[in-house]
Amino acid sequence: MAQALTESTILAPRLERPAETRRAQAVVPKRAAFWLLAPSFFLLFLFTYVPILEALMQAVSLEGFGGKRIGYGLGNFHRLFADTAFWTALSNNFVYGLGTVAPSLVLAVVLGVVLQEATRLNAMLRTVIVFPVVLPLVAVATLFAFVLMPGVGLLDYHLAKLGIAATNWLGNPDTALYAIIGLSIWKNAGYYMLFVLAGLQAIAPELHEAAKLDGASAATRFFRITLPLLKPTLAFVLVIAMINVVTQIDHVIVLTGGGPSDSTNILLNYIFQAAHQQGDTGRAAAATVISVAALLSLSVASLKTLERGMHYES
Amino acid sequence: MRFVRSMALAVAMSTITATTAMAATRIDFFFPVPVDGALAKEMQNLVARFNQENPDIEVIAAYTGTYDETDIKTRAAIKAGKPPAVALMSANFITQYHIDDLVEPFDPLVRAEGKSPEDLMGQFWPALSGNARTDGVVYGVPFQNSTPLLYYNAEAFKEAGLDPEKPPVTWEDWVEDAKKLTRREGDKTTRYGIMLPGTYDILGWTISALTLSNGGQYYNPDWGGEIYYDTPSTLGALTFVDDLVHKFKVMPEGTIQTPAMNNAFFGGQVAMIVSSTGSLSFIRQNMKAPFKVAFIPRNVRNAVPIGGASLIIPKGNSQERKEAAWKLIKWLTSPQISGGWSRFTGYFAPVKAAYELPEMKEFLDKNPDAKVALEQLAFAKPWFATYNTVAVRKALEDEVQAMLSGKKTPAEAVKAAQANANALLKPYADATALNLPK
Repeated sequence: MAQALTESTILAPRLERPAETRRAQAVVPKRAAFWLLAPSFFLLFLFTYVPILEALMQAVSLEGFGGKRIGYGLGNFHRLFADTAFWTALSNNFVYGLGTVAPSLVLAVVLGVVLQEATRLNAMLRTVIVFPVVLPLVAVATLFAFVLMPGVGLLDYHLAKLGIAATNWLGNPDTALYAIIGLSIWKNAGYYMLFVLAGLQAIAPELHEAAKLDGASAATRFFRITLPLLKPTLAFVLVIAMINVVTQIDHVIVLTGGGPSDSTNILLNYIFQAAHQQGDTGRAAAATVISVAALLSLSVASLKTLERGMHYES
Repeated sequence: MRFVRSMALAVAMSTITATTAMAATRIDFFFPVPVDGALAKEMQNLVARFNQENPDIEVIAAYTGTYDETDIKTRAAIKAGKPPAVALMSANFITQYHIDDLVEPFDPLVRAEGKSPEDLMGQFWPALSGNARTDGVVYGVPFQNSTPLLYYNAEAFKEAGLDPEKPPVTWEDWVEDAKKLTRREGDKTTRYGIMLPGTYDILGWTISALTLSNGGQYYNPDWGGEIYYDTPSTLGALTFVDDLVHKFKVMPEGTIQTPAMNNAFFGGQVAMIVSSTGSLSFIRQNMKAPFKVAFIPRNVRNAVPIGGASLIIPKGNSQERKEAAWKLIKWLTSPQISGGWSRFTGYFAPVKAAYELPEMKEFLDKNPDAKVALEQLAFAKPWFATYNTVAVRKALEDEVQAMLSGKKTPAEAVKAAQANANALLKPYADATALNLPK
């Protein structure tokens, strides 16, 4: 229910209400609404908008020795684009995003559809699958440090039974990012499945019954009924998943710190390194501006594309 | 009514002011714990003891995470205008604090007591003064220090026909022993001879230990704008490590995460590891097979860098707070407290006099491994510290990690590391050594 509410606020098409009703409602409640919203707005302003402005300011200024700040125009962006580590981080983030979002979403839909009937076995399986969601990412990362340990870790222990030799998953620049991707899928798929389950509840059973009577196969029903009606849910989950790709780095920091050789260095970690390890706030702020802008436009674009051709009930 | 209320308020206010005036000087103390949780509790105990013994000062100890996090939090606090009066700072970060003009010199506080900075530094092991002083001025007082050590599995030594009383002394011995200790079953290696930690931070420290053992200096200790990566001593050290992996095959390929290394050592999958003296207590608690420690083997000479942390007073504190901070620092670095902390943690005590205490002598007799760590101190050198230390360190670490995975040769690695490090150091060089009369 709550799920449906969030969706409708975010995704509902703007319903044009007759002009006079709008005006009639507007007079008194508006002031009350303002005062009711004021505390939240104040906090939002203080902790969200001011930092955004501060980041923008930092992006166009340079901090010299002794902490003096001078205007620097687009210099930080030039320095950012000239830094090969930034491009490495960007491409890593791209691979990481593609590698986590697509499989997690597919998994979430498959699991959601398979487990949607409320049987006792399904309830248990759902709990098992959702379990990683309740674990903090830091704890998961620490756990995976042991799972991925070369030779003695859980993964290698079982792979060895299949005759696969010990692999230094996190220690090899070719595999480290994929190890991190695997962890993220494990952690997130269950979370996205919850949304899919909620979305599935909203699909009227009559549609499936009618299709069954018409002789549609399970696959046809999935692709012609379930998937199209899940689109609003998927659009929402996609945006959440993309935000996760950019904002979650606990596991990177715990497991590899971005290494080896920058192979798992993704944007936020790059920003962290620039700001806190190198004290280069200007370049860090420039990278922040770029990544937030990219994230914002990607989110809007994906919502727009998915909104087109969306099916709404009644 | 209103009058009464405002009177009451005024009285209440003045009482508050009065009590603050009489109350102790309140100071904040930021401290990191790089090893494990028990240390944080012990530090809180120490501070509680100090507060009891010094009713005129109230120290509020704040646990601030790792060394890196403590650096971030201290800088943020300074920026916010509320610096802690004392911070326990990774010894090689102090140079950057000095460059950024964020740290108070200790000299005036020492001189006010009629002593000289030499008297202050004279209490500590000579190796520690390199990181504590910049241009002759003291900016940090050493509190907990370490050096890298060679840890080896005595049982594995016996099994391989080696004498556990005779650890490798030179790199030649090291390779020979490692070959004998490496156990292969078909194409699988069930026990490696050596593992070196490959995680950022400790990797740079380990490589600098090997470079120093190879006769190198690693960085310019007098000026923060130079690092010596593309040099024979560093190239030799890297080639040695590369050979361990790819030529002698006594060390696994790829970056070895520190927890994986420790686990392999505890599980007998590796016979020798390099780790900090600060890990001594941790390894003692977790290692079931008998183990011993030894100096880091040498190629040219015995030499290791120090590690650990020093106490600093960030800028922006009032004279009163500075004096309270100085009192706390003197107390924390007194032989008794320093010795107790050393026995508890495994770090060595920076104060020489700590080792004259009977309880310390007894401890060393019972724990000969702690004695080895102490003896190696005679060969210790300062920890590399430059402008932008962490990034400069990472410039080499990224290349070494590529080399460990067989993606670069040692020669390519040192060249790329030098180029990247030079670019990072350039702003400082431009502002100082290259800032010439026009």
